[in-house]
Amino acid sequence: MNFSAYLEFAKRAFAREGTYRTEVFTSIGSIVLRVYLLMVVWTALYRDNGMQRGVPLHATLTYLTLALLIGLIYNVNGAYLVRERIREGEIAIDFMRPISIPLYVFSDTLGQSAFAFFEIVPALALSLFIVHIDPAASPLALVGFAASLAFGFIINFFLDMIMATITFWTMEIYGIQLMAQFITTLLSGALVPLYFFPGIWEKIVVALPFAAIYNAPLSIYIGRVQGPDILRTIAGQAVWALLFMAFSTVLWRIGERRVVIQGG
Amino acid sequence: MAELAAHWRNYAEYWRLNFLTLVEYKANFFIWLAFTVVYVGSSVTTLWVILSQFRSLNGWDLTQVFFLYALFYLAHTFSNTLFFSVGNVPYQIREGQFDRFLVRPLNPLYQVLTQPGQNWPDDLFVALIVFGFAQWLVHLHWSLASVALIAGAMTGGALIDFGIQLAIATLAFWVIRLDTLRWVVMSLENDFTRYPLSIYHRAVRIVLSYVLPFAFMNYFPATTLLHKTSDGGYAVNPAIGWLSPLVGLAWFLAAYAFWTRGVNRYQGTGS
Repeated sequence: MNFSAYLEFAKRAFAREGTYRTEVFTSIGSIVLRVYLLMVVWTALYRDNGMQRGVPLHATLTYLTLALLIGLIYNVNGAYLVRERIREGEIAIDFMRPISIPLYVFSDTLGQSAFAFFEIVPALALSLFIVHIDPAASPLALVGFAASLAFGFIINFFLDMIMATITFWTMEIYGIQLMAQFITTLLSGALVPLYFFPGIWEKIVVALPFAAIYNAPLSIYIGRVQGPDILRTIAGQAVWALLFMAFSTVLWRIGERRVVIQGG
Repeated sequence: MAELAAHWRNYAEYWRLNFLTLVEYKANFFIWLAFTVVYVGSSVTTLWVILSQFRSLNGWDLTQVFFLYALFYLAHTFSNTLFFSVGNVPYQIREGQFDRFLVRPLNPLYQVLTQPGQNWPDDLFVALIVFGFAQWLVHLHWSLASVALIAGAMTGGALIDFGIQLAIATLAFWVIRLDTLRWVVMSLENDFTRYPLSIYHRAVRIVLSYVLPFAFMNYFPATTLLHKTSDGGYAVNPAIGWLSPLVGLAWFLAAYAFWTRGVNRYQGTGS
């Protein structure tokens, strides 16, 4: 495998993102607005009803603000490129190139995410004017958060990739992809921490793979998940990551064969 | 008068074509209908999760916050159904497609709003169902007054929504890139209207009542309909809820005057 080529793809993606200045301002501005909104809403909720589920206000605000910030990294969707290439039929030419397309998409996503990482700095600085963000619950929690975030990133990537691969079978995919995105956002705990789901629902949504994307790393960060449970959570994420990777790879192979056979 | 009748006939024809595309692209229609259901479902589920854990938000319980959402969605989808294509104007100006509206002997805004496409009232349909459910949950008292209030909120709200969209679209005659502004306004409209106005700081309350009066799409009519005379420590005059149609009309007329100036200016430099 030609590693340096993929590194170059990632660098190109990073440089490309830097040219869209208005988009950078838009995304940072949108984060600041939403941080204000969540601060106001959750402060009012806690003022009316007191603490719920043993999670104090500052921990919930930390969770939700960080969710918006890591959303900058997650919301990069490099796989949309695959959708466009398939729709326009150019994927057939891509198959002739001496590179692996999924790996190319992964490099591109990594490059874009690296750029998004730099957007986090000003977004975080501005958010700190609005809310107080707690430091990680412990040094161990910080390490666990980083590891868990990495697995969350991988699962999120393969989810996008699977959705994009479906384009091999049906072209009118945009509406379906948006639907999947709404469901993922809700069930991953990006908008409401999953520990607030009532009764049995909490157990169900935490057991689903979507929880690995936002809820797992952020619950570790704020100390809701502690000690050996940190390791258990990350191990669970690793299993989901492997399953998603395997499924995505198989789906891609089948789709690829479809194109090659039909095109021959 | 005859001219007006011709416009109406044209408009009816436009809707006939729209429904024909619906019949032609049935699968697409159902995908977008399902999309709308999922979109609304995820918003409502979010409210449900929050308010089943925390019983009230500044004195509003789950059913009342849901009613607030349903009323907003009703006005918003009504506006979307009738005026959706105004959002395409900035793109059409940039690509030079807007010029074709100017060479035809018809009001350009009328032409913008009657471009046949896949414009279906699927979300309005969902909004009506959601509203029916919400009014049942809050035990809304139906009377001539409440019907008039809801109709006023729906039409006035749609005009506020449309007026603001039109004003932003008009800016495209001067400014090429509007994405940031559009995003901020969209977020104020879609995200900030989900919660009672009383939770926000003074500056935000002023913006949402007087500058971009999205609060008239749902909050003020809802306080009147739900008989809230005070909210989060602020006194609310129930008469304010009746003003939505007036605010909508004022915003629309102002936006239309601005639009006319924009079109004239564009024609002036385009020669």
